[in-house]
Amino acid sequence: MSQTVNPAILVENLSFSYPNSERKALHEVGFEIQSGEFIGVTGPAGAGKSTLILCLNGIIPHFQSGTFQGKVLINGRDTFETPCAEISRLVGSVFQDPEAQIVAPSVEDEIAFGLENFGFEPADIEQRIQEALSLIGISHLRYRSTTELSGGQKQRVAIAAAVALRPQILVLDEPTSELDPIGTREVFDVLRKLNTDYHLTIVVVEQKLNVMLEYINRLLILNQGKTVCDLPPRRILEEPELLTGIGLKVPPVSELAYRLRKSGKYRPELPLTVEEAYCGIVQSLKNMRNNHD
Amino acid sequence: MSAVANYLPRNTWIHRLNPLTKMLWSIILMTLSFLYRDPIILAVLFLSIALVAYMAGILKEMLPAFKGLLIFAGIFLLFQIFFITEGKVLFYVIPGTKILPITDEGIFGSLAMGARLMVIAASFPVLLGTTQVKDLVIMLVEKIKIPYTYAFMFITSLRFVPTFMQEMEQIVQAQCSRGHRLENRNLIRKFFSLCPLAIPLMITSVKKAEQLAISMETRGFGLGSRTYLHQIQFRAIDWGISLGMLGMVALSVYLNLQGIFQ
Repeated sequence: MSQTVNPAILVENLSFSYPNSERKALHEVGFEIQSGEFIGVTGPAGAGKSTLILCLNGIIPHFQSGTFQGKVLINGRDTFETPCAEISRLVGSVFQDPEAQIVAPSVEDEIAFGLENFGFEPADIEQRIQEALSLIGISHLRYRSTTELSGGQKQRVAIAAAVALRPQILVLDEPTSELDPIGTREVFDVLRKLNTDYHLTIVVVEQKLNVMLEYINRLLILNQGKTVCDLPPRRILEEPELLTGIGLKVPPVSELAYRLRKSGKYRPELPLTVEEAYCGIVQSLKNMRNNHD
Repeated sequence: MSAVANYLPRNTWIHRLNPLTKMLWSIILMTLSFLYRDPIILAVLFLSIALVAYMAGILKEMLPAFKGLLIFAGIFLLFQIFFITEGKVLFYVIPGTKILPITDEGIFGSLAMGARLMVIAASFPVLLGTTQVKDLVIMLVEKIKIPYTYAFMFITSLRFVPTFMQEMEQIVQAQCSRGHRLENRNLIRKFFSLCPLAIPLMITSVKKAEQLAISMETRGFGLGSRTYLHQIQFRAIDWGISLGMLGMVALSVYLNLQGIFQ
């Protein structure tokens, strides 16, 4: 008998509607995420992104009431039948508001909070605090008060608090929405490190496509509770209508290259970063000159 | 008033004492203050609190609190003095009439009441100045077995005070920039002009609380028996001081019953 490896996350035919709401927040959504993938989720307001995140960490159906249909399997375990506390050992969560998700008055206590809840020995807690802080690169913040941190620092503390529990999956709901461009990069760099060095499966909801597309393996686009597409970032750039059709913006460098290619002036693969665009344009210019000669 | 209840970090042996020892100290002072009726003994108790504050290096910070208490006790005393009519009449407030008599017991009794009030109230700022609330709460959960949920509620509400202050300030600024008038000498009017601002604050608080609850759930809150990173020891010195204080209380009660000290 062959042993089948369960995908990290398997969502089948998932529908959910909040009480007192006619519309379904999620409508027959389905996808599969393998262990070690870095997935982005995007979509316009009201697309069901946050609802989807709440379904992945078990808050739905355990704490949020509403009509739940379909299946969510985390490492092969049905979230409907698994207690939220057990899901929380597998899935770490980071939310949008850096202020509201911080529980404790000091950074150290904040990271200890989850570990204390799970009943770890003080020596283990100590070790894991150090580990999480150095992993996220915020060891210097350990004894600071959480109220005096900047938004980016708070968000990294929240990530450290989630990572300290050593989850296999990390889900993040717009973790950079209140951050400036530098803070946004800081958060995504940390996520990339967790993904590549520690093989953490990451699902991140994000509006800032121009940053996110550089980092992720696949982008899931939602609109009005339905899946629009589920493709690698470069494939999506080939079909910018997928984004523009629902009011999202294509990253400027990619759009520029796409238009140049339409007019026959750009041959290479569509770029995700300024660096790639620069190389592509230089190459195209060279080709044009060669053709003229 | 907020500065009065703040933790004042110093490196003294009083700061290092177990929170429970310091709480016992507060409770004992309260007990003793009810035991005695002699204003002089009560004044000595009050001075002992000031001495502890001095040893903890926080006397200077405590002075405004003590001063406030003194004024409060003074007002209390003024009212109280008319309600005790037993004892020998010394004089009347309005000479030549028999209205509002002042008796010796009245003076004595109200002085004792005022001093008692000061003793009871003065120990708390000293307790809070030398003890981190967080440590106190952990000890209450671990040793006194108060349910963690209640203790957590308390710590978290403290954690959110600055957050809500910020939120309130933002709401005030936003509304003032749209012409809402807050500057008003009249206290009652000021109160009413703050009322409409309370609604957005309440809504954001509820939203934050909801988000906080979700964040807690995803980190295993309420799973059952929980551990604590910071272990606070009840050391020999805590035993010594606690037993010493209890011994003193027993002795005081005994002497009091014998009628030696009242």
